[in-house]
Amino acid sequence: MTSVKLEKTRDRRLPTGILGGSLSPDANAVVAACMGGVYRLELGNGKKQKLHAHESYATSAHWLTDGTVLSGGYDGRMRWFDLNTQKLQRESKLHDFWSWQTDVSPDGTLFASVTGQYLAGGYKYEPSPEREPSICVGDVETGEILHRLPHVPSVQSVAFSPDGRFVAAGNLMGEVRVYDLRLGELANRFTTPDFTSWGIIKSHCYLGGIFAIRFTPAGDELLLAGMGPMRDPMAGNGRQLWQRWKWDVAEPKMTDQTHDAESGEGLMETLAVHPSGEFFAMGGRLRGGDWNVAVFSLKNGNRLATLKTGYRATTLRFTPDGESLVVMGAQGQPTKLKDGKLPEFGRVEQYSVTAA
Amino acid sequence: MPNRKTKLTCGSDEHTVHRRLFLQGSMSAATASVASFNGLFSIPALAEETKRSGKKCILLWLCGAPSQFETWDPKPGTATSGPFGAISTSLPGIQISSLMPKCATIMDKLAVVRSMSTKPNEHFQAIDTLTRGDKPRPPFTRPILGSVIAEQLGQLDSPVPQFVLLDPCPEGNEFKGFKAGNWAGWLGAEYGPVRAGGDYGIPNIEKLDAISQADHADREALRSFFSKKFENDQRSAAAASHNAAFDRVKGLMSCAPLFDLETLPKADRERYGAGAFAQHALQARHLIENGSTFVMVANGMPWDNHVFQHEMHQMLVPELDNILFQLVTDLDERGMLDDTLVIAMGEFGRTPWLNEARGRDHYPKAWSLAMAGAGIRGGVVHGATDAGGYEVVDGKADNQNLFATIFSALGIAPHEEYDLPGLPTFYRVEEDAEPIAEVLA
Repeated sequence: MTSVKLEKTRDRRLPTGILGGSLSPDANAVVAACMGGVYRLELGNGKKQKLHAHESYATSAHWLTDGTVLSGGYDGRMRWFDLNTQKLQRESKLHDFWSWQTDVSPDGTLFASVTGQYLAGGYKYEPSPEREPSICVGDVETGEILHRLPHVPSVQSVAFSPDGRFVAAGNLMGEVRVYDLRLGELANRFTTPDFTSWGIIKSHCYLGGIFAIRFTPAGDELLLAGMGPMRDPMAGNGRQLWQRWKWDVAEPKMTDQTHDAESGEGLMETLAVHPSGEFFAMGGRLRGGDWNVAVFSLKNGNRLATLKTGYRATTLRFTPDGESLVVMGAQGQPTKLKDGKLPEFGRVEQYSVTAA
Repeated sequence: MPNRKTKLTCGSDEHTVHRRLFLQGSMSAATASVASFNGLFSIPALAEETKRSGKKCILLWLCGAPSQFETWDPKPGTATSGPFGAISTSLPGIQISSLMPKCATIMDKLAVVRSMSTKPNEHFQAIDTLTRGDKPRPPFTRPILGSVIAEQLGQLDSPVPQFVLLDPCPEGNEFKGFKAGNWAGWLGAEYGPVRAGGDYGIPNIEKLDAISQADHADREALRSFFSKKFENDQRSAAAASHNAAFDRVKGLMSCAPLFDLETLPKADRERYGAGAFAQHALQARHLIENGSTFVMVANGMPWDNHVFQHEMHQMLVPELDNILFQLVTDLDERGMLDDTLVIAMGEFGRTPWLNEARGRDHYPKAWSLAMAGAGIRGGVVHGATDAGGYEVVDGKADNQNLFATIFSALGIAPHEEYDLPGLPTFYRVEEDAEPIAEVLA
């Protein structure tokens, strides 16, 4: 494969910015975790329905095959909403601080949620140790917490391996920990210095880290996404960066990363692997350059396609048949009311995917 | 409180000399260092009275501008609220950000102003205005707050620096540029800050071991005699400035331990928090306890969160919460709060709306700050913004009102005139701006 063509087929809106979400099993709708609650959106006709709201922003939502929507939020809670009965089934307080991100195992039996507040732990603002375990793994059906696993806050990204045996989590400092869920033990860890900035210009503190993490289809490597270091972290002008790491060896090593001349500037915060296993998509914000969503070959890392959506992409999902890519995200919050209401700034777009 | 708009002059020939120096001083920081308006406001009886009262000030300078929504003016349940909740405080009906649980317990000691509304929208201009009290009026350079307070309330003959800036960050974007400028303005270099913090130690203040104490004293006496003679014979402002610097260094040599964080009790250091801003806030308390009059604590410009607003504020606000709590509580327990004004503020606020980069941008139109201690009535929340935090709807206050409040709280007449013959008229606070009466004790 040498190229991928992306063509926009649908453009939908939601009232507030979207921070996470997933496709329905039939790929005709999405559930979106928004600043203002969890929404169901029909991609075909744009019909939307607010399902419920967390006490703060909702950050992730997963549409399970039985019609349950599992969502996490900045209130540290996970909620189970039954689309069939239209009722909230269960709520569980997982963390004292935010649920930054959640994932559900490929077989739909486990959930994982990561948390952690970055607080000053040293004169140069090294992160203080966690005050609660940063990784929580539980049973989707019962809500029972199976593992509480340590990391260094803030832990901003999490993913299950394709076989559901491992969970990987990346943090502010670029440290990745992979836990074996059969044993409840650390399987491996490594740190990449390439995603984290220590403020030089305006501030003295750490900023950035790994905002998205995904296993490759074979499960032996990890894709990481974020932004390269900056002298002024508050400029948001670091390199649009992904890295690929072989993690299941004694000395984990980076095997590839965004190729030179294929990146602009901006924080990348979402990854999706195509069902074919041949390429992956990365998305985020455009700060400098000409794209904020791009598709890369899993074979050689080459960039195959780009999009300039005009808004911050927070979530990418390929449809199970691989024929579409759904991009969710947020524009800047409108500064003024229009007709007494805040204009909608949550964005959902669907693109056809043609590989050649 | 002295009569408003009093015109004070010491009546000396100094002003003739100073008129020229003043103009030079306003042109550049380097030249300004030779300008001195020592005694510009001096009515001896008044000066002695204010000095006896021992009023001090610590400014927690939140450079870059914190979000009022994530600190003192949360808007729970609205589109502008952000992801952090609001919590109840010790003041019935008053909520602040959930990131500030400690300050929520001492609101009876704090005065919060939720209705600041100022003009400058860019950092440099806003820093200039909010630290000097007024917009620029070239070619004259209004002294910064710390210089005015050091001049009015400080002990110039004290070995302890009267105006200290603690800021470990060598950069700071616009704040870096501002730091390089002329802080003391027409008051002259002796009212400028001594800077410390991080790598900004105070160099070369250790006496060489090879020189005995007696030799050291003899050498200094000789240097002092000749340089003073030169200063008097030549009427040399440069020599005067040089001598002032030497006097300052002599003082610094005697109080070097005050600048050593390692000398502070470990328990105190842990209580304040590990970050540089927290450590220097503790150091500020220590300096105030030991004779400094004004200490400005900064840490670069970390609050300017155009991107990563919430990722940054999750760390910065709890740190501020703890620092303010510890500082106010410490000063209170030590019987120093009645004489020490603590101010926590930046140069403006942040937008109600979040931009695409999940940041909040500059917003001088409606923002908040907090004060406590000397001359301030605790348990007050002054002013209000509308439901979304877009506009001030009650008790609007600007930089002039703020400075009138600060000076009044410290017993410094806010409307006194700077006596500069032949030059435009300047007042400490221009345009008869009123203090915010509600927050004054």
